[in-house]
Amino acid sequence: MSDEIPSDDETAPVPLLQQLMDNPFILLLLGVFIPMIVYVAWGVWEILNVPLAQ
Amino acid sequence: MSAILPPSERLWYRHPIDRVEGTWIVLALTWCLIMFFMMVGWHIWGKQNLSTETYRTTPAQFMAKAQEMVDKYTVRTETDLEIPVVAPPPGSDVYLLGRLWSFWPILELEKDKTYRLHLTAMDYNHGLSIQPININVQMVPGFEHVITVTPNQSGNYSIVCNEFCGIGHHQMVSHLYVK
Repeated sequence: MSDEIPSDDETAPVPLLQQLMDNPFILLLLGVFIPMIVYVAWGVWEILNVPLAQ
Repeated sequence: MSAILPPSERLWYRHPIDRVEGTWIVLALTWCLIMFFMMVGWHIWGKQNLSTETYRTTPAQFMAKAQEMVDKYTVRTETDLEIPVVAPPPGSDVYLLGRLWSFWPILELEKDKTYRLHLTAMDYNHGLSIQPININVQMVPGFEHVITVTPNQSGNYSIVCNEFCGIGHHQMVSHLYVK
């Protein structure tokens, strides 16, 4: 098991992904809106765009 | 380590990933991707996921086309409900609808000939299930599915409704003849 811990510089910028993972509200937003868009919105759009029978 | 307390390292993201965890992630991701591309594979090589064309329609619009086919190509009727048995010409559009609680009409197709089979329901969702070859397509009111079919084996196939549609669902059966 790796025991290396990088020096915890007080002034070093916080990585972007860490900022994301540390913010529960952004995670909540993504967890709600990504499935909503990919499943519900895309599905409804696809159904609304079904062409008329000839 | 309690998950409730904040991480002990300020830049915890830069902590190198543990070997076991890294291996686990690679294995899980690989399996996920295999299963994802299997969906494409099953569409190509599986026998259940059909490529249907789908259109919006209305019961009246579909019935007009079905009736036209029935008027031209009926060869006989069957059952007490006097459902017409239709032998449409190869290469043509054939129409099959489901309604409470029967399929209409009965189709008599020719082996090795291609047809465009149009399916819809008049009232509620029905399921077209052709047995024993196990072809299953939903019949949805307000929409028509079109499947291009080429029967490759003669015989007398059963059609059952496999979408529960009410009190008469268990009696909703029909035939499909391939000469």
